[in-house]
Amino acid sequence: MSGAARATRHGAAYWLLATLSLAIGDRAMAATVTVTLNVAAASAGPAQDAVVVLDPVGVAAPPAHESVATIDQVGKQFVPQVSIVRTGTGVSFPNSDQIKHDVYSHYLPKIFELKLYAGRPTAPVVFDQPGLEALGCNVHDKMRAFLGIVDSPYFAKIEHLGRTGSVSITVPPGSYSVHVWHPGLAARVAPQPLEVKSDTAAASFDLDLSGIPDPKAAWPWP
Amino acid sequence: MQLRTRIAVTFLLLLATVLAVALTVVSHTNRQNAAHALTEQLQSGDKEFHAVLDLNVRLLRLAARVMADDAGFREAIADRDTETLVSVLENAGTRIDAPMVVLTALDGKVIAASGSRAAIGQTFADPTLFTRRLDAEGNIEPNDTVVVEHGRIYQLVAVVINNPLPVAWVVMGFEIDQKTAKELKDITGLGVTLAIKSGAGWTDVVSTEPGAQAPRSPEETRRIGLPDGPAATVAVTLSKSFAAAMLPFDRLTQYLYWIAGIALAVSAAAAFILARNITRPLQNITAAVDQIRAGIYDAPVVVQRRDELGSLAEGIQVMQSAVRSRDQSIRRLAYEDTLTGLMNRAAFNTRLEEALRAGGDGVAVAVINLHRFRRINEHLGYPVGDAVLKTIAARLTAGPYPAGQVARLAADQFAAFMPLRATDSLQTWGGMLLVRLSDPIVVASQPIDITATLGLARSPADASSADELLRCADLALERARRDKRGHASYEPAMKPAERDQLSLLGELRQAVDKDELRLFFQPKVELASGRIAGAEVLLRWQHPMRGLLGPGAFIPFAEQTGFIRQITRWSLEQSLACAAAWLTAGLALPLSVNVTVDDINDENFHLRVANALARHRLPPSLLTLEVTESGFIDDPARAIAMLDALAQLGLQLSIDDFGTGYSSLSHLARMPVHEVKIDRSFIQGLESDAEFAAVVRSAIDMGHSLGLKVVAEGIETETAARRLTEMHCDVAQGFLYAKPMPRAEFERWLEHRPRVPVPATARTLTLEAAGEDRTRLVL
Repeated sequence: MSGAARATRHGAAYWLLATLSLAIGDRAMAATVTVTLNVAAASAGPAQDAVVVLDPVGVAAPPAHESVATIDQVGKQFVPQVSIVRTGTGVSFPNSDQIKHDVYSHYLPKIFELKLYAGRPTAPVVFDQPGLEALGCNVHDKMRAFLGIVDSPYFAKIEHLGRTGSVSITVPPGSYSVHVWHPGLAARVAPQPLEVKSDTAAASFDLDLSGIPDPKAAWPWP
Repeated sequence: MQLRTRIAVTFLLLLATVLAVALTVVSHTNRQNAAHALTEQLQSGDKEFHAVLDLNVRLLRLAARVMADDAGFREAIADRDTETLVSVLENAGTRIDAPMVVLTALDGKVIAASGSRAAIGQTFADPTLFTRRLDAEGNIEPNDTVVVEHGRIYQLVAVVINNPLPVAWVVMGFEIDQKTAKELKDITGLGVTLAIKSGAGWTDVVSTEPGAQAPRSPEETRRIGLPDGPAATVAVTLSKSFAAAMLPFDRLTQYLYWIAGIALAVSAAAAFILARNITRPLQNITAAVDQIRAGIYDAPVVVQRRDELGSLAEGIQVMQSAVRSRDQSIRRLAYEDTLTGLMNRAAFNTRLEEALRAGGDGVAVAVINLHRFRRINEHLGYPVGDAVLKTIAARLTAGPYPAGQVARLAADQFAAFMPLRATDSLQTWGGMLLVRLSDPIVVASQPIDITATLGLARSPADASSADELLRCADLALERARRDKRGHASYEPAMKPAERDQLSLLGELRQAVDKDELRLFFQPKVELASGRIAGAEVLLRWQHPMRGLLGPGAFIPFAEQTGFIRQITRWSLEQSLACAAAWLTAGLALPLSVNVTVDDINDENFHLRVANALARHRLPPSLLTLEVTESGFIDDPARAIAMLDALAQLGLQLSIDDFGTGYSSLSHLARMPVHEVKIDRSFIQGLESDAEFAAVVRSAIDMGHSLGLKVVAEGIETETAARRLTEMHCDVAQGFLYAKPMPRAEFERWLEHRPRVPVPATARTLTLEAAGEDRTRLVL
């Protein structure tokens, strides 16, 4: 267990460090956008992570740094079950369980399969197309994870969204399109345009989680 | 109905009623039980059917789930390689024997199909299959339904395929077909019929029951719509006929009927024996009572019992002997003449009937009448009369005929009968009887002369019944008495037509009232001189229907009925009127008028005659009353007294039919008569029979010696007239001189004929009124 846990923690720390350096670097011309999600009608399912993405409008996204993300497999579950990465990120699928897993995605944006394996695969899987990746394990039907791949570098995750939750994202002033996604959504939530001018800006979404979830349909991008 | 039958039948009816009620109740309960059992069986069949369906659903779900979770299958779906998918679907289907496996998109559009003709891209079958519902863990639940595809029925289950997100449905189905129905029938014991909706109705597609036999009534069927609810497209009908449900109960009922039948039979035998035990003594008693009723008193009443029936039998036995002795004495009284010990009329009738029934050549019956028996009683006393009767009875019973054939019918009347052989003569037997009775009877040293008259009749010639035979004998007796003969045999001519006689009496009354009687006159001729000495008045009846009738046609009948008095009164009245009229006209002609025994016995007769003579102012010497000899037989003294009284009136008296009766000469000598009239039977034999001639001569001589005028009637020839003249007979009448003629003709006949002169100084009678209805005669 110790090897796998260490690797996960190490990955998380790395991702946090990169984000912080970005924020500090652009401090002079940065604003904090607070996005609040209110669950209007909840489904019966367990609370899951929600994703907020600010898509800059009219400007190109800053070039991406090579980065690595990790989706671990612990106790016949993907950890985390919802991940969001920037296009081109390599994702590592370490297996922290004593049993083997067979991670697959049969659909775009990335079709792949890590045939039955244990431990850390030799190379991370690079997701170079934006989209929503649904991940499963061929031998454990209940294992499921979502991996969102976006072009924008401005995104955040609200973990275990209950009745309500909010997250702050630091972005340079400009025009943005605010997108939200949650695996329990049955349909796409309309994006909200947001002009970020000074220090702060805020956006608020009402989420309806009562329908039959259709995560792919709810993904903000086609 | 016999008591025995009634007891047995009542008993059996009671039992039969109880059994019938019991059987009815059991039958009714059986039907209810059968109906209940049927309902329960249908209900449990319903449950079992649904259990089978549920099992199928679970099986299909499981199979579909396994299939859906197969990694290869998921990969194939992602590949969208239709041919591969179809093969995979077929493969999965064969694993669980599911004929239909279909893969559709989440919205139900067909991706690939095996065992179905569904076209790719079209929505498959029932959209409810693709309804997405979440379970507690957020998974999409499987759906199931029943659909009809091309006339085949499928039970389908749809399970969503996660890849890992829900991407498609896999639909698996079993066909519900004949095999399913058969299995279902094996499980439930019910008939299974599957129908699919076609338009507004339903069409049977599968049935375990041959069409016509499947019951349809609501009680015998249970209908299950598939899928549940109003949108059902398939109807499953579970059925069982009530008759089939009744089968076990029918067997029970059958046993019960057997038991009831045996119980009835055993009870019938028991009831019959019991009833017979009770009724047999009763039958014995009834038989004894029947015997008693029939007059048989010596039949024993055999009932050896100590109960009430035994007592009854004893009582009846006692009663039987009491009735026997009483019956015997009653019989004696009823059928015996107590004086003579002979049978009475009733017993005689009975015996005679028996003899007639016995057949043989015939039975002779004699009715015997004693003359003047009343006088014996009157003059010598009843003890002597009784002694005479006893003697007569003894003589009659002593004869050579079986005992018990002689009876006393009335005071002076006896009867006897005897079976006759064909050759036996009735007259001979009658003569024997008369001879037997002719000896004088001596009572207390005093000889009593008694004569008898017999009427004889025989069967079958005269009559066939006892009553008729006796009546015939009576009629013969009547004739014998009238003819003054010792005995007479019955002849059919004696029998008056009853109807004629009854109507005759009425007509006779009418004859007098309506003046239908006529006076005819026959002249009397003085033989010595040939002069007319007078005339006899004779009666004729001018009957409105039958014409002119002689006296023989109605006088005997009038005598029998007593009506003769009216007739005599009329003829006397008319004769006197006629004579008076002639006298007034200068014709003094003596007339002879017939009177009867009844008139002589009427103590006022002489007054009536005197009255009439006086009224018509006719001299009595012109009237001659003719009386028959038989008028003196019963009571000569009284008759002579009347004749004396009449003679005192001054009229003439004549003895008619002289020589035929029994009047003795002593009587004749004492009679105040003036003439005798010799019976025509003597005159008619005068020419041919010397003995008759001698009788006539001595009769004439006797009349003359007594100082009487002698008249002969019925003279038809000159020879007879000459012989009578020679015998010095005084007067004659007959056809030789003239027939009886009506008055006018007689008056013409009389003209210019010489008449015997009548003394001119004849006096007439005068009457003095002595009251309203009586007159005193003044001489």
